[in-house]
Amino acid sequence: MKKDLMEILACPLCKGPLELSIEEEDEKEVIKGSLRCNKCSVSYPIEDSIPNLLPPELHS
Amino acid sequence: MKAKKAEEIKKFVRERYAEIARQQTSSCCAPQSKEASSCCSSRTSEESRAHRLYSKEELESISANIPSLGCGNPTALSELKENEVVLDLGSGAGLDSILAAQKVGPGGRVFGLDMTPDMIRLARTNAKDLALDNVEFRLGEMEHMPIESSSVDVAISNCVINLSPDKDAVFGEVFRVLKPGGRLSVSDIVTYGELPAEIRGNLAQWAGCVAGALDEKKYLEKIRAAGFVQVELKEEGPHPYQEKTACGVQTGNQIASVTVTAYKPK
Repeated sequence: MKKDLMEILACPLCKGPLELSIEEEDEKEVIKGSLRCNKCSVSYPIEDSIPNLLPPELHS
Repeated sequence: MKAKKAEEIKKFVRERYAEIARQQTSSCCAPQSKEASSCCSSRTSEESRAHRLYSKEELESISANIPSLGCGNPTALSELKENEVVLDLGSGAGLDSILAAQKVGPGGRVFGLDMTPDMIRLARTNAKDLALDNVEFRLGEMEHMPIESSSVDVAISNCVINLSPDKDAVFGEVFRVLKPGGRLSVSDIVTYGELPAEIRGNLAQWAGCVAGALDEKKYLEKIRAAGFVQVELKEEGPHPYQEKTACGVQTGNQIASVTVTAYKPK
């Protein structure tokens, strides 16, 4: 996920803001990490630079 | 539609399109179907489909051989301008998102949304090959968009909304994420009259963009019900189902490929 394209992201459930945590990154991209919605208490994983923003029941 | 059936449809569609992404084929129909005159056709007809839907200049600009599973050219339809923010619903292998990214330029942004991880990976690879910095692909559902409200100038979609078992949710979400005055430009499949129950209930026909297609009037009603105005539909012909079959099923003249434009009021 490109760091400068973080804008307009929202939680797919409540549409509220997401908090980014970075575990691995390069110059342009977040490679591994998560996007957390504190309101819904759900973390959306970022793996292989792809943010998984499917509703939680579909994360598998 | 019952929730269980809706989930079953989504799961089937996701698995089918994952398979398409892995094989990089251009058929959206079930593998057992070999109907030559439909979207089930082999890669040989893929080239002619792309050439029918997209201009020579557009295809040359991407230089990569990115398959299209679409039935139209929504980026051309949407008359994208520089610096616009675009959302591509069901971005697939990324062709429309990539064309949109070139049209909105470095100051614009394109977000491709798809519920199939293999498609997202394929689209990312295709965009990376072209060194585009203004396009991003996200794994998500069009019924539950992970997008801020009133943040998008243009929503495009190419033959995908018919796949959703909950089109009210899709159009409601498109309306929510568009900025006031924002527009929807969609290529999709509609029917004229109700399809027979045996087609409607067939999951393979759903994945093949047949069973989920709505009657034209209902389709437009749902768009208007979401709040859109200036809703206009144009028939583009029988594509991708030439003749009278689609994915091996006799549908008569009941199915058409259309383009629809609509606006969120200012």
